[in-house]
Amino acid sequence: MTEPARPTAPSRPAGVDDSSRREFITWLSRAFLALWGLGAAGAVAAYLKAPERGAGVAERLVRVGLLDDLQIGEGRLVRHGVTPFYVVRLDATRVVALSAVCTHVRCILGYDRERRGLVCPCHDGRFDLAGNVISGPPPRALQIYPVSVRAGEVYVHV
Amino acid sequence: MSEESPGGTSRGWVSWLERRINLTEIFSFLTHFGFVYTPVDSSRPVREVVRELATEPVPSYTRGPRILGLLAAILFGLQAVTGVLLAYYYRPTPQTAFESTSTIVRDLPAGWFIHQMHAWGAYLLVAVIVLRMLRFFWDGLYRAPRELLWMSAVVMAWLVLQLDFTGRLLTWDARTYWSTVRGLEVVWALPVVGPILAFLLGGRVVNEDVLIRFYVLHAMVLPVAYAAFLYVTFGTLRRVGVSLPPVGHGAPVTTFRDHLYSMAILGVLLFGALVTLATLLPFRYMAQADPYHTPAGVRPPWYMLAPYAVLQGLPMPTWITGLLLVAAAFAVLLLPFLIRTDHEAAARRVRIGGVIVLSVWTLLSVAGAMLDRTR
Repeated sequence: MTEPARPTAPSRPAGVDDSSRREFITWLSRAFLALWGLGAAGAVAAYLKAPERGAGVAERLVRVGLLDDLQIGEGRLVRHGVTPFYVVRLDATRVVALSAVCTHVRCILGYDRERRGLVCPCHDGRFDLAGNVISGPPPRALQIYPVSVRAGEVYVHV
Repeated sequence: MSEESPGGTSRGWVSWLERRINLTEIFSFLTHFGFVYTPVDSSRPVREVVRELATEPVPSYTRGPRILGLLAAILFGLQAVTGVLLAYYYRPTPQTAFESTSTIVRDLPAGWFIHQMHAWGAYLLVAVIVLRMLRFFWDGLYRAPRELLWMSAVVMAWLVLQLDFTGRLLTWDARTYWSTVRGLEVVWALPVVGPILAFLLGGRVVNEDVLIRFYVLHAMVLPVAYAAFLYVTFGTLRRVGVSLPPVGHGAPVTTFRDHLYSMAILGVLLFGALVTLATLLPFRYMAQADPYHTPAGVRPPWYMLAPYAVLQGLPMPTWITGLLLVAAAFAVLLLPFLIRTDHEAAARRVRIGGVIVLSVWTLLSVAGAMLDRTR
């Protein structure tokens, strides 16, 4: 911004002092405005940030149900927040938990009981019960969650 | 200001109002968003201004490719009306969204009609806006001094696509829900835009927060932004003048009054077309969306199929694809500054380039549509 020509102040011998003070005050007011703008933008951004749901610490350990209710070879979808997963009973003692979200475009997988694997309804990606990709476009293996059985109840650590 | 107009038979209430408020100012405020292509002198009485406007010669807008801008304006008006009507009953939460939409469609008198009109109107609006942009490109209407017209056309196309994208989630229908999830895959890949959006939506999962945010964007923020760009369009038109047809085609010129009449006729025809589509080819709905069950054969919205195909089909990191998409979008926006030549040969080359880009885009869209299983 260019300063308009000012009439010379009669009481001041040197105009340098005056104009530098003016420049300083201009600079200061702009700095304050910028700070105010930053603060307002920060407040609005903080307000607009959506709360994260379903990721609470207390929900890390998920109780799935009784082991006896799960039949061998059965896969059960657990609707757990943003990390839904399948719990599959392999035999009398072994239970696995796999993420139900396809690593390709986040479709929810379906359980194929006959082939003992997970199938994506979108692009026909297939996973085995260890989470490995058997066929199709998924780029990565599925995440496996640790399972513990305590007093006949199945717990999954998400 | 003289209160008796020279004609003598002035309507009582107009002059009553005019003594209390500047009606011409209100009129000129409205014309900032369309209809009138000449400046309005707000120091004169409104009846005089309107009478003068009615006989003013204007290039006929209802002939040839010019019709597209008018169609877009009428469609936007229709969308606003039907959208407000739908908003009276719609409730934007995952538990109630599908239910309230079903109430509108099934239980309310003419509810299905308003809903289908809104859905088909959106479809046509996107088509018209895209066609209008293609027409601008073909006729070289992005060149100086019409840069702002081109840029606002591009921004309005972005806004309409965002309106469509945010609107299709609102029914919380299984098909539209998963279509949105699929489409968002493209958005996440964009650099800068993707992370900001993920921050604002609270993660990459479509949940209740995303629904209400999409609702606010769809019903308030984006329409207001669209209106702002309507203003930019008409403000620029008033300054640089409407484009004239090429020499030899004759210059179809009508009076403003005739222009308004043909616009009304166009509006009726458009309404008729919409009613036909809404009644004979209604959009079908599946069932309430279940975030834990993906139905087979759901595709992203049609305008996202090409980037989707590139993202899914080409073996390169997503951020490169995203960068390319953003670069392409800005190249289209800043086209007037990238192409500065007026030579006929260069213009032809630019056109051929555009045709090639469009055919590649179409092929990619087809490829994107084939990606998903159709069972």
